[in-house]
Formats: sequence, structure tokens, C-alpha cells
Amino acid sequence: MDVIMPQLGETVSEGTVSVWHSKIGDKVSTKAPLFDVSSDKVEMEVPAPAEGTLLEIRVDAGATVPVGEVVAIIVREGEVIEAAAAPVAKAETVAPKTAAAPVRDVSVKSANRDARGNPLSPAVRRLVAENSLDPAAISGTGLNGRLKKKDVLAYLADGGSARSASPSPSRAMPKPAPLDFSGEDTEVIPFNNLRRLTAEHMVRSKATSPHVLQAVEADFARIARARSGVSAAWKKREGFSLTYLPFIAKAVCEAIREFPRVNGAIDGENLVVFRRINLGIAVDLDFDGLVAPVVKGAGEMTLHELARAIRDVSDRARNNQLKPDDFTDGTYTISNSGVFGTMITAPIINQPQVAILSTDGITKKPVVIETEDGDTIGIRPVGVLAQSFDHRAIDGAYSAAFLNRVREIIQTKDWATVLA
Amino acid sequence: MAELTYREAVAAAIAQEMRRDDDVVFLGEDIGKAGGVFKATVGLFKEFGPVRVRDTPISEQAILGAAMGSAMTGLKPIAEIMFSDFLAVCWDIVANEIAKARYMTGGQMSMPLVIRTANGGGSRFGAQHSQSVENWAMMIPGLKVVAPSSPADVKGLLAAAIRDPDPVMFFEQKSLYPIKGEVPDGEYVDELGTAKVLRDGGDVTVVALAAMVPRALKAAEELSAKHGIEATVVDVRSLVPLDTQTILREVSKTGRLVTVEENPRLCGWGAEIASIVADEIFWDLDGPIMRITTPHIPLPAADALEDATMPSAERIVREIVENID
Repeated sequence: MDVIMPQLGETVSEGTVSVWHSKIGDKVSTKAPLFDVSSDKVEMEVPAPAEGTLLEIRVDAGATVPVGEVVAIIVREGEVIEAAAAPVAKAETVAPKTAAAPVRDVSVKSANRDARGNPLSPAVRRLVAENSLDPAAISGTGLNGRLKKKDVLAYLADGGSARSASPSPSRAMPKPAPLDFSGEDTEVIPFNNLRRLTAEHMVRSKATSPHVLQAVEADFARIARARSGVSAAWKKREGFSLTYLPFIAKAVCEAIREFPRVNGAIDGENLVVFRRINLGIAVDLDFDGLVAPVVKGAGEMTLHELARAIRDVSDRARNNQLKPDDFTDGTYTISNSGVFGTMITAPIINQPQVAILSTDGITKKPVVIETEDGDTIGIRPVGVLAQSFDHRAIDGAYSAAFLNRVREIIQTKDWATVLA
Repeated sequence: MAELTYREAVAAAIAQEMRRDDDVVFLGEDIGKAGGVFKATVGLFKEFGPVRVRDTPISEQAILGAAMGSAMTGLKPIAEIMFSDFLAVCWDIVANEIAKARYMTGGQMSMPLVIRTANGGGSRFGAQHSQSVENWAMMIPGLKVVAPSSPADVKGLLAAAIRDPDPVMFFEQKSLYPIKGEVPDGEYVDELGTAKVLRDGGDVTVVALAAMVPRALKAAEELSAKHGIEATVVDVRSLVPLDTQTILREVSKTGRLVTVEENPRLCGWGAEIASIVADEIFWDLDGPIMRITTPHIPLPAADALEDATMPSAERIVREIVENID
């Protein structure tokens, strides 16, 4: 007797034999599974329709056949069956999804509806079949989000990536003319790999983290004094100038000890707080891209070590000598646009971290100084420290307290002694 | 180029061919001295005289019988049936005799005649004088069927019909008689069996005939201006032979077909085009075929009711906006 592909649900038209539990010649039973069937909705075991012996398997495991198709033949006790000539369906020949399916075959394709359940037009069916596409993955722009031929063509032109074009039920607005970038007035600069990765990362970060920006203004007078006292000797000894950045990095590391939650990452519904501080340092590659190599173990470093480590990764970044390990395990990132004299920058979080600090230009400004004898005005080197934080991870008060602590350290630490 | 009315283009084409070929004769009711009830044949009687331009009694069967006999015996007659509705009374001569003579004589006999007739509605003439019957003629094997939409096409296609060695049914849409348009000067002959693309658009292909062509063009401009839908407009011009190449090509480009037909819906010419498109380029269609037609009813005489039945530019716009995308 015939064993047929069962109906696995009202709307299911085909099923895949996922595994055979019996071999040809085995005794089969209505009480034991003969084969497993899967569809896009369910997976189930199918027992033999009668007691007997498995005579023939017509559909290999992995093959998909329509409901009602004979998948096997069993012979009951005393039953005589003429040799069946139908070939065994091979897994690879049944699923017509690999090569360009001939146009005549599209009528048997499984999903002839788009993501909204609208039926596909003949032109769309043909394109979907010829290009082995999943119509549900393509956004439709027609009435009720209907998938139109031009939507599929645009999807293919985009390299098959999912477009987020929203359906346009209101068509009152005339279509804008397509942008024409040709001509002598324009230069088209294709994204290189770094640009593309940066673009993807930035979009993903903004889409992932609700960014909040907070900024404090810090007086760098103490650092400036300490720096100027040693700068010539430093340059001679180390071979590079001592900038403000290692001081800020040192202050950040110390503040993180008191406010460790800015030094973390979100994992599902958990905030993972790192004990180790690995500082990402954003480095601009002469306008040709941006990288953020990581200074590992920054929390344990002295100011001198920090300065050398930051210098090291920056140099290697500019000389294209960074290794994959230099980019891993960052826990907090500092971005420095100060060289161009900017006042404030709202940085984008370096995922999966939860905060990033931007340091900008440090310039001399008149500052009100409170003394016991009353307020006076002094000229001080002042700069803004701006932190973007992920509001999922922490709140404004915590971030503000951290920033305030960074400022305090910058303004009050005995940097001259630290440098000595 | 001269600006002529649609009706003046009729007389211009007949005059052009009568001057060129002495075998061309013209007969019908009030076509001579009166210049035609629609004034489409003014001047012909004066120029060519009562032998070649012959007024007949009110007897459609006699007109077409005489035309058939004279065509069989070597003339190239043009016969006018005043209202296309009256073709029904002479359908035996048209459908069984004129259309079949070449076939049944094994080609020994040709039938180089033209039956001109004022077709269609929009002029408040009521159910027996307003019908759009081009689809009647289209379904008879052995007839060629032409229905121009502009003065230039009237002149060029009527001249081509007169020169054609087989019977041609020439449907002039009577509400178009007053429209004006540039018509080439001098001898001008067009080609039967050719459709014209009058407007290029990327979103939908509107296929129209005769009086529906200017309405489709007007609708296309409004669709573009107000709804951002760009319509290609194809003037079919000739139902037999049918320029399927042009129609299939233009429908393939947009993936959408809309026919705009004045004839009643059942078995209208657009049904045949829809069938051909579905047969030949089904896999290029990006949505259902739509037909915009007069409903399957006798045409009313009242202004408002007649306007409500025939496809208008507004209705074309509305139906396309509601159904195409």
C-alpha cells in the first residue's frame, strides 16, 4: 500500500521528509514512527499506515514533495504488489531553489505571496524564481505594501540586501526625480573597506544605544603647569611630545575605579562591568579613516606608561601596523578632536561599550576664581569633556557624577608630583 | 502642415484619393449636395460631380450592395453609412458577402472598398445612434477595422484604407468631428495596422482607441501632475490588423495594462488585447489587467446619463489611482 505525504496543516501544501526510521525490508508498524516530516510550521513523526514490510522508499530524506505524494510503499501480510517504476526523488533535484528555475516552473513555487500576504504578480514571480529570492525579505512599495517588479529590481540592484523602504499607501506626492551624480561637477568616492565598516558600525551603534550627551568644562591649569615644567626633558627622553591626552586618560582610569559602570558592556538584559580597563583611543588616519586601537590594562599604568602606550598605538595605527588583537576587548573609549580646536563633540559609542569620552580643544579663557578675599578673574586653559553614554546601561546622574570626578581629578591632582 | 478639423480631414483624404485615382467613387446618404450630415464631405460633390459622388436613397443595404458590386467589377468605392448603428441592417452584406468574397473565390476577386461610418456616443443621439460598434466589425474574419483619433490619422489612414485591396471598415468617432489638429500637406498616406505611442510613461500602459485617446491623454497628464503616476498612452488606431508588437512592447515596459474602450464591455476590443497580453507576456505583468469601458447597456440619450456611461478622463484617473500600484 502507498504511504503518502500527510497534510501537516490546512495551509501547508508540501512537506520535507527529514529522516527515515526504517530501511527497506524492515517490518513497520502503525505504532512506531516510519519517517519524520517537517514543514515551515511543524515537525512530526509519521507512523506506518498499516502493519507490514517496507518495500520501497520513493523520497529521500531531505527531499520536499507535495502533500499527497507517495513517499513509500509497504506491503502488508499476503499482499502482492507489482514493481513500481517511479524513480526515487533525490533531495537535490526536488528543491528548485539553487539555479535559475525555468519560467514554466514558477507556478509550483511554494511562497507566491509577499511579506504582507499579497499575491505576487507574474513579473515578480518570474524575477523571484530566476534569482532564487525570498519574496518575504523584500519590501513592497505598492498598494497595501504590494511587492512590485520595480521593488525586486531595486532589491537586486542593491545586491539583494534588504531595503527598508516603507510602503507608500499615499501617492499624492509626485515621485522625486532620481538623483543624477554624473557630470564634471561631482566626484564619486567609493567606500573602501574601512569606510564601509565604520559606516556600518556607526549606524548600528546609533540604532542600538540611546545616546545621551553630557559635558563638563575642566580647568587644565595644573596639568599645563606640570607639563610645561618637564616638556623639553620629556621630549628629549621619550622622543615625542607630552600631550594632555595621557593626563585625561589617567584621570578617566581613576574615576572609573569609583564609577565602574561606565566601563562595561550590555549583554542581553545584563550590564557587564569590567574590572580591567582597556582604553580605546580613537585615531584619525590623516582624514582617511578612523580606528580605535585599545590600550590594554590602562588602569594599572602609570602616567608615563599611559603616554607611551597611547603613543605606541597611535603610531602603529598611522603606520598601518595594528594587529587584530589591538582592536579587541576595549572597555571604554576616548576620542580626541582637540588638535583642531573644537569646543565640543558628541561622540558615538564604540559598541558594545556603554560610554565614550570626547576631549576637545583646550584654550585659554577668563575664569572666575573664588578666593577667601573674594572672586577674581584669571586666565586659565579650559577644555570641555563630553561623554555620550548608553541610557540603557546607566542614567544621567551616574554619568554626571563620573564626569564630575574626572574633572576634579584633572583640576586637583598633584600632577607635578605624578610626573616627577 | 495645415490645421484641419477631423471632419475636414475626411474630405481632404477622399479628395486626395479621388484626384489620384479615377476608379475611386463615393456614395451614401446626403453625402453629395448636402456635404454630409456631419459636414465631413463638403466640397467633394462640387469638385468631382454627381457621377463619382453619388447621393443615395435611405437604403443602407442598397448602398453597400452597390459598393460591393462596383468593387467586384473594378471600382474602388467608398460607401458611407451615416450612423454605424445602421450597419446592423446590412450585416449580411458586410459579414457574409463583402468579408468573404476574396476567400470564397480563391483570390480571383478582391474587394477594394471602404465603408466609412460615424461611430460612437457623446452627442446625445440615444441608444440607436450612439453605439460604438467597432468590436462588431473586429470579430468578422475578412474585414480590416480602423478608428482614428486625430485629423492627421483620419487623412493618412483613410487614404491608406482607400488604397487597400481589401474591405476596410473606417470608424469616425462623431464627437471628434470638430476637433482640430495639424495635418501634413500634400499627398499623405499612413500605414494600416500600426499603433502609435503618444506618451511615454514608466508606470502603466493605457491602450485606447478613437475618442478614448484624447481622454486617456488628458487623464495621463492629471495622473502625472496630481498622483505621480506616469502613464504610457498607446493609440491602437487599427483593430485589424492589430499592431500587437507595439502593444506587447509597451505593456512589457510597465508591466501594467489598462484598456480604455468606448464599446460596451462584453467582448469589447480590449478583451482581445487583454487575452493576447495574457497569452504572450503573462510573465511580464506586474499586476492585474484592467479594462475601463462603457457598461453593457443601451446608451442613454440624457446628457448626464450618457456622460456617466462613457469612460471620462476623470474616471480613467480615478480607476487607475485606485487600482494601479
